[in-house]
Formats: sequence, C-alpha cells, structure tokens
Amino acid sequence: MSIIHTDARGTEPFDKTYSLGYEVHHKDWSPFPRINHLRQTFLDRPYEVDVERLRLVTEAYQEHEICARKLQCAYAFEKVLLNATLYIDDEELILGEIAAPTKASPIYPEFSVNWIIDEILHSPFEEREHDQFYIRNDEERAEIIELCKYWQGRTVADRIECRLEEDQIKGSEAGKKIYQTNLYHFAGTGHLAIDYAKLLEVGFDGLLKEARQRLSELSMRDVEYGDKRDFYEAMIIEHEAVKKYIERYAKLCEDTAAKEADAARKAELEAMAVNCHQIAGGPAKTFWQALQLFNFATTLIQIESNGHSISYGRMDQWLFPYYEADMKNAVISKDFALELIEDVYVKVNNPTKLKDKGSMAVRNGRGFGGESLTIGGVDTEGNDATNDLTMMMLEGSAHTRMMNPWVCVRMHEKTPYELKIKVVECIRAGYGHPKLYNDGPAIKGMMRKGMTLEEARDYCVVGCVEISLPGKEYGWHDAAYVNTAKMMEMVLNGGRCLDCGPHCMRWAECGALGKHLGPDTGSLDTYQNFEEVLESVDKQFEFWTDQMCSSLNIIDNAHRELKPLPYVSAFYQDCMNSGHDLTEGGAKYNGTGPQASGMATCADSLASIKQLVFDEKRCTGAELLQAVKDNWVGYEKLYALVNSSKVHHYGNDDDYADELFKYMFECYTRHIRGRKNPRGGEFSPGVYSVNANVAMGMNTNASVDGRTKGEAISDNMGPVHTDGGSHDINGPTAITNSLTKVDHSLASNGTLMNLRFPEEAVAGVEGRDNLVSFIDEYIAKQAMHVQFNIMSSETMKAAQKRPEDYKDMLVRVAGYSAYFVELGKPLQKDLIQRTELHF
Amino acid sequence: MPQKGIIFNIQRFTIHDGPGLRTELFLKGCPLRCEWCSNPESWLTHIQPGVYKTKCISHKKCGMCEEACPNDALQFYRGKLIGIDRGKCTNCLECYKVCPSDAVKQWGKEMSVAECMKEIRKDLGYYERSGGGVTVSGGEPLMQSDFVSELFQACRAENIQTCCESTFHAEWSEIEKVLPYTDIIISDIKHMNSEIHKKHTGVGNELILENLKKIAGKDREMILRIPVIPNVNDDEENIRATADYMLKELGGHVRTLQLLSFMRLGEEKYASLGIPYRMEAVKVNRKSFQKHVNEIAAYFNSRGIHCLVGTKEKQ
Repeated sequence: MSIIHTDARGTEPFDKTYSLGYEVHHKDWSPFPRINHLRQTFLDRPYEVDVERLRLVTEAYQEHEICARKLQCAYAFEKVLLNATLYIDDEELILGEIAAPTKASPIYPEFSVNWIIDEILHSPFEEREHDQFYIRNDEERAEIIELCKYWQGRTVADRIECRLEEDQIKGSEAGKKIYQTNLYHFAGTGHLAIDYAKLLEVGFDGLLKEARQRLSELSMRDVEYGDKRDFYEAMIIEHEAVKKYIERYAKLCEDTAAKEADAARKAELEAMAVNCHQIAGGPAKTFWQALQLFNFATTLIQIESNGHSISYGRMDQWLFPYYEADMKNAVISKDFALELIEDVYVKVNNPTKLKDKGSMAVRNGRGFGGESLTIGGVDTEGNDATNDLTMMMLEGSAHTRMMNPWVCVRMHEKTPYELKIKVVECIRAGYGHPKLYNDGPAIKGMMRKGMTLEEARDYCVVGCVEISLPGKEYGWHDAAYVNTAKMMEMVLNGGRCLDCGPHCMRWAECGALGKHLGPDTGSLDTYQNFEEVLESVDKQFEFWTDQMCSSLNIIDNAHRELKPLPYVSAFYQDCMNSGHDLTEGGAKYNGTGPQASGMATCADSLASIKQLVFDEKRCTGAELLQAVKDNWVGYEKLYALVNSSKVHHYGNDDDYADELFKYMFECYTRHIRGRKNPRGGEFSPGVYSVNANVAMGMNTNASVDGRTKGEAISDNMGPVHTDGGSHDINGPTAITNSLTKVDHSLASNGTLMNLRFPEEAVAGVEGRDNLVSFIDEYIAKQAMHVQFNIMSSETMKAAQKRPEDYKDMLVRVAGYSAYFVELGKPLQKDLIQRTELHF
Repeated sequence: MPQKGIIFNIQRFTIHDGPGLRTELFLKGCPLRCEWCSNPESWLTHIQPGVYKTKCISHKKCGMCEEACPNDALQFYRGKLIGIDRGKCTNCLECYKVCPSDAVKQWGKEMSVAECMKEIRKDLGYYERSGGGVTVSGGEPLMQSDFVSELFQACRAENIQTCCESTFHAEWSEIEKVLPYTDIIISDIKHMNSEIHKKHTGVGNELILENLKKIAGKDREMILRIPVIPNVNDDEENIRATADYMLKELGGHVRTLQLLSFMRLGEEKYASLGIPYRMEAVKVNRKSFQKHVNEIAAYFNSRGIHCLVGTKEKQ
C-alpha cells in the first residue's frame, strides 16, 4: 500500500501525542494563556435567558403590524441590530454575539411561545433535571410572559397546529410519538452552511450592490413582482443594518481602547476597531478580518432565526487564501494564526438556545448544537485538498477541547499519512472530536440528490452527520426523528399499541371506539409465514411516512408564510438571482431530511421472529406477542433466549440478521426518498438518532428483540444493547462488516456510527497505527461516518458504579478481551490502576 | 484427508499476539498446567460445557438443563445452576443445547480448515492495511499440528501472514509440520531451572529450550515472552540465566523479548469449569511490581536484548 504525503504541517509535529483519554481537571491544553483563560471564563459562566431580543422584536412587529411579512422580519432584524447591547469580553480578539451576552439565550417568539409561558409557570427552566436555564429576576420573568402573550396565535407553531389533522397528530409528538417533528415545529430550521468564500471576497457592500441591481432589474410584468420587491427590499434593510451593527462594534472597540491602560491590549482593541471598519461593508483583507467577518456573518444568522446546526462549511478551504497571503506578506505568524483559530473555537460556544422540554428530550444540550466545521477531503477535481489550516484546525481542537466546533474530517483514499496521524492523535486524546466522514459514499449520496460530481465533491457536514452543499442547498436536515421500533409495534399487533387500553390519553377517541392507531396489517398471531411479516412492515412504514412527510410539508409552509429569512438568503446565489427567499425554495437544492432510529431493534426483532417462530418453531407467534404485551413477565426463558448468542443478531457479521437490517434500512429509505416538498425539492432519508433513541425508548413498549418497556431503542446504525445483554459480541470489525452490507449513500441525509475503544487498544505507536489501519479499512468498506469513544479510567470507575450502563465496554485484559463489567472487582481495580500508570 | 481442529475461541481484532490487526484462533488441549494460566478452558483437548452461574435465570423459571441432562450431573445452589459434576458429565452438551440464557457455555467447537478460512477472510482488509494476519494460540496449538499445518498452508495460499504462539513443548516432528508455513513465532521462557519449571507448569523445560535452540539454528526470528510471576521467576539468578541462554543459545534470533507482568486473569473461567484458582493467594502491589518489571526490562536491554514490558514491539 503506497503512502501519500503532504507538506501541510501546522505548528506542531504532525505526530505529536496530545494525551491518551480524558484527563480530569486539566485546564491548560492550549499553548496560549489567552485561550485557556477564555475557555475557563466560558465554562464558569451560568446559562441565562436574555429578554432583549424578545423585547426589540416584539416592539418592531407591533410598530409594523400592517406590512408585508418579509418587511416585518427586516424591521425586526434592523431594530435588534441597532439597539442590542454589545459586549467585548476581556482578552478576546474576535467579536460578535447573538444579541445576548455570552452564554445567554435570546428568545425567538416568531416561532413559538406557548411552551415558554407554560414552562415558566409550571415547570421552570431553572428546575429541569438537565439543561437548566436561569431567568435573571422576577421582573424579567414577568416581562417575558407579558411579551410572549402578544405572540400567542401569531407564531409559526400556531399556524402549524391549526392545519394538522387527526391522522397526522396521532403519530406525532402530540400523540403516540411514532415520529417527532418538534424541532421545526417550535423553532427555526437552520442546518445550513453559507457561501463564506463569496462573502469574504465581496463583503456586505458587494451583496447589497447585487441586491440593488436585481431590484432595479425586476420586471413589473413579473406576476411575483411585489413579492420579489419585498424580498430585495427586506434584504437591503437587513444588510444595511448589519453594516451599522458592525460599525457599532468598531466604536465600542475605540471607546474601550481609549480607557485601556495596558498598552498591548490597547493595541489589540485598536486593531479590532480597524478590522470592524474594514469589514462593515468591505471585503476581508487579512486572515484576522476573515475570521471576524465569519463570526459576524454566522452569529447574525443566529440572530435572524434560532435554527440550529449553522455550520461553517469547508473552513480550511475558504479561509486558506487569507492565511496564505498573510503568511507570504509576513502580516501574521503561524502561531498568531493558530491563536486566532482557537479564539474562534472558544467563541463559537457562546450562542445558547432555550428549547422546549419536548425538543430537549430528543436533543440534549444547551448550545445551538451542530456547528460542524468540515476540513480535508477532495477538491472539485478529486485531488486531496489538505493544507496547513487543515492541520491547524485539528491542533486548535485538541488545544480547546470544547463542545464546539464539531470538527469533521473528510476522509478519502488519498488522505495523506500526516493528516491521518494527526486525526488519530486527536481521537485518542479522548475528547470526542473529530468525527470522520467518508467521501466515497457521501459524494455518491450528494449525487443522488441531483448534484453534479463537482458540486458533490464540495460537500460539507452540517449538524451531526448531514451532508450538504454550502451556499446552494437548504436541506431541512434533521427534520424529524422516526421511531421505527414504535412502528414495529403496529406490525406485531394489528396496528395497535401493545399496551392499548383505557390508561392511554387517546383511548376515548381511539381504542374505546374500536379503532386502531394505524392500519391493521396483520399481527404476530396471524401471520402464516415470514414474508407476510415483511409485507406488514412495508405497509406500516408507508402509512406512517405518509403522515409524517405530509406533516413536515405543512410545517415547511408555515415557515415560508410566517418566518422568511431574507438576511441569510443573500448568501445563496440562487435566492439572490431568483428573488425567492430560502423558505420559498430559493436555494438551488431543497431537501427535507427525516431520520430513522431503532433500525437494529427492528432488525433483531425480525430475526427473532424468523428464527424462533418460522424456522426453528421454538415458540409460536402468539406466545411471542403475549410475551411483549406482558413486558416479558412470565416469559423469562424466551426473554433470555432472544437476548442470547443462540439467536441471530445484527452487528456480528452474521448474514441472517444483517440481511434483515438491510431490509429495514432499504424499507425506510425507499419510503422517504423521492417524496416532494413545497420548496420544489425532495425528501432525503437519514439513519441516525443522536441521543433521541433514549427518549423514544421511554415511549415504546417491549420489543421482540429482547427489550423491555421503556429501555432505549437501538442507536443510529449501531447494534442492540438491552438490559438482557449486548447483541454484538464479535468486536469492531464484525460490526463494521455488518453495517457496510447496506449502501450508505441511500441515506443521503447521513448515517451515524459510534465506536468505542479502551485506551489500551490505541496506546503506543502500535496502537496509533492500528487505529489508522482500522479507519482505513472502515473507509474502504464504504461506511459513511464514524466517531470514536476512547474510554478512560474515570469511565471505568463510573462503570463500576453503574455497570448496567456499561455492559458492552470491551477491555483488552492481556491474553484475552473481556467485558469490563463481567470481570471481578479486583481485576477491574487493577486495570484502572494500570491505565493510570500508563499516562 | 482434510483436517478438523478443536477451537475454543476465535477472536477477531486482536492486537496483542503478533503485529497489526489479527484474527486469533485458540486451540484446545495443552500439555502444560501453568499455575497462572488465564485460559483453563484450553487444557483438555475435548469439547466441554462450562457454567456461568450469574447468567442462570433459575431452576424455577427454566429448569431445561436438568431435564435434558441424561446423567444427573448438574449442580444447583439456591435454585440456580452453579456447576457440573465432572465425574458424572460425559460432555454430551445437551445442557448447553437447551439453555436459553448462555449460562451454559460450550468450550470448544470442531471446525474444518475451510470453516476457519471463512472466518479468517472476513477481516482480510484489516490484515493487509495493518501488517496483521492470523495467529494460532491455545492451549498448545502443536497438539493439533496437522490441522495447524493445513490451516497455515491455506493462509499462505491467500497471502495471509501466519503466527504461531506455542509453548514448544512438543516433539520436533510435530513442529516441523508447522514451521515451514509459519511467518512469526511467539513463545515463552517460563523458567531456566527445570525442576522449578516442572513445579509450576507440570513439565520440565528441556524439550522447550532445545526446540527454541533448534528454531534459532534454522535462522528463524522469534518473539519471546516471560510471564513475570512474583517469587517464581523474577529473581536475579533466573533473569540472568534467561539472558545468558538467549544470548548464547539463540544468538541474534530474538527480535523482541516481551515481559508480561502477572495479572489475575481468567478467574471467572476457572469458576465456570469448577477448577480451583491456584494464584488465589498471590497479592501484588501493582506499582512496586511494575517498577520491578521495568528494572528487569532494563537489565535485558543492557545485555543487548530488545526488551519491552507488555505485548508491544515498539516503545
């Protein structure tokens, strides 16, 4: 195998080892004291709720009640930018928040308010079990409620709710949670990456010039003349406001500099003022200005809407010309370039988002989430695109080790050796970044969405794992979470929930009337052969994806009608050219991407049915049905058997079960793919759950794979783990072989795979090289995505305390591998000690 | 005639017995009875049942194994299966076949070379990228030398690297069947004094040392290991004698000497077989013992022998 090399080196040796696994109380990973200070200051701050945006937006809408919706949005945006309080944190070099202080969440009443009022009154944000937010005082609490009341009946959520019908609601989060469309029902859509390269080149003045030009060229014979005029005018109001907003920051820098006693800091503040003056309207002239413009442009997207996963595209690519020029002209040192990158890395953690408790359950975390930063990969010609910044962006990640940004490295067959080593050094440092994406299936997936090869090669990752085209695609990724395990309940029980009865909130309108939740497509006690079971799966999936996708289209239309996005639309060339807002389908590519969870739960359920009921006849379908209805109580033998190694399970490189996983994967993607959305685009399926599989499990009765009621369903592309045992027992190569028996590109909205290794497995030069080899083969087998967990002794101690959560953690003991929690306590202790010695 | 082997475990993705990523086949049967052995299920050549008592869901809820056993050999305590009366057990495995919960495990499985190759091929790409391959271990794989020979020939035919981890307590005629098809050799030197060797492993060391010398004489490189057991083989005299032997008898043929610090391993497997664990009383202060092992490694290195602690070949 030939090794491909690169000259890209960054600031440190490419094979520098950062650490092995997580280390507690380590505060100075960065070589820059400023960064360590900013990082710590961030961590020490509380999560607050800020009222300013809510106040200003409400005022603006009240002042412009009778006016086109796009202009209302523009006036509100303008009002916020001209009036929001601005801040400079000490020592920082990059400016720009989301119209709220660091780590404080603004409120976006345009989308939804009922839950805000309800939760403040009945289940305060401060008292949540996790993801708490703090309202500063009672006056602000009262003000929030008062302002929100104005919005009741006027929000995107209200519009959606008045249009959904019974069949659509019963399967949704408001019903039995077969699918959950919470995210865009209650908040903005986001999930995009803009064309930063163009912005840096032309600046806001360039965009304004283009908008004015287009406006002047509009034909009055165009039937959409009025709408398009509103669109350009709104865009012009907003981008003019942006210029003033950035000038306000310039003034703040100058005022702060005037008062600054420290000469070095004073010079920095003056330089920041110069930066702001330049980029308020003009293009970025330096690397520093490019990063400053990036941060303003990005945070402004988050001021316009609270859609999450506002991602940074291929940052090592679009930023490189500025780095190259500054280095060539000796404007900056390499070290200062890295310090700026790290400053940005800390900074992008600042935006936070107050979410409703339903969304919070499927999507933990107080950040906006999903701020993916893509590096590496091939260029539009198919050549490796690694450069110095690729390496430095990984260094910055290892030096900051924070939630954001979510660094994603695009891997391909020509990824250079030095980059692979740097990637693996970051991975085995155990902080969870970077995730790896595979150009092979990703590019194929992009082309399935109708893109040219050149476009497809320019993909980036937005959010968790969704592949998207910067500045050209509005993919509505992450559109809904689909609980396939709950759909499977309908397959088992004639379209009814397994626990159908008077305790159900829908009993009066459903079961009591003799109705079924879904269509009756047969049940486990009536199927005559396995083919009938598979047909039933297909019919249930068709019915529920019909409900879900039609609901999503209603949600989509509500966003178009009530919350257009003229500011961010300016960064989409096709919006600019056509006069159509992003929400109206102005982008070149328009998708909707709902994702499936619980695929392995379904696959192992089917394997149990096929093997035990039809092939070996060890039990009847009726028995198995009764067992899950009774949550396995009284069926302990059957429960043990379906969880044992005697039954075929997905994830073991066993074709019997893997074929059924493939059936499920293809069934889901087939029912989603190709459906039309109102923006002129098509639906695009994903197979990932992030952490939603846990909350979904809580709403799902026992399943035939050996899950008891309430346990998590299977995660992402991963195998089943139940309280009765882990179903994958053949190690990571077997899992990889199992999950690559499906064509990942069919899931053009992304797939996700978590793999976990103990530190021991990746220690030393040999461990590093073995992990590189493993990744190489994983990529060669055309899996789309992977991320690693490298276990620490802390984790092992936690595992001792809560063994039920760590059942499948493999530890390589010495001569053999074993499951950590199955070892005796003394050996566990010894392993923990040995690991610490290893550091 | 195509050979069949008795294999008690096929471990994919192993990284310790040989370079790179490997698939390791553990073969049943061993002439040694090392006190510190971590694989007691490997001792006997034939297939046996083992009991994992924590997995039993209770006699009351199940009882299928007792119903199936023709010899009344199963032992219960407080309603749960805890062991097998090996005097009565004929290893018919009826208990294993009916057990729904993995409480009865089957130690050992008869497999043909073709069946093994099917498993081995599943991870071909990983071997190629990492410089890995196939390792046979045990037990003592040379007790099934005809099978190993045929398996390794099959690997060679597909360009898969082969590694044999053996005690080399075997007749030379058995070794000769395997050696020509073996790329990497791993073995142990447990003690230089034959009497002490016999006391702790059940056999003297003469045959082993003679075989290693013969292998070196054929100009073959090997990876050697010392399982460092406190108060058994970690004294200065034995360490010096081991170094002397390696330098004098094995010449430059030891590519790496690996010191494996004693760990309490495999206790749960002893329990599954109802065999007492003989290292029960040995308590080790991990920190000072590790220091001691590091000093031994330093000594070997000072004698010009490339020596590392653990199953590594690179520092």
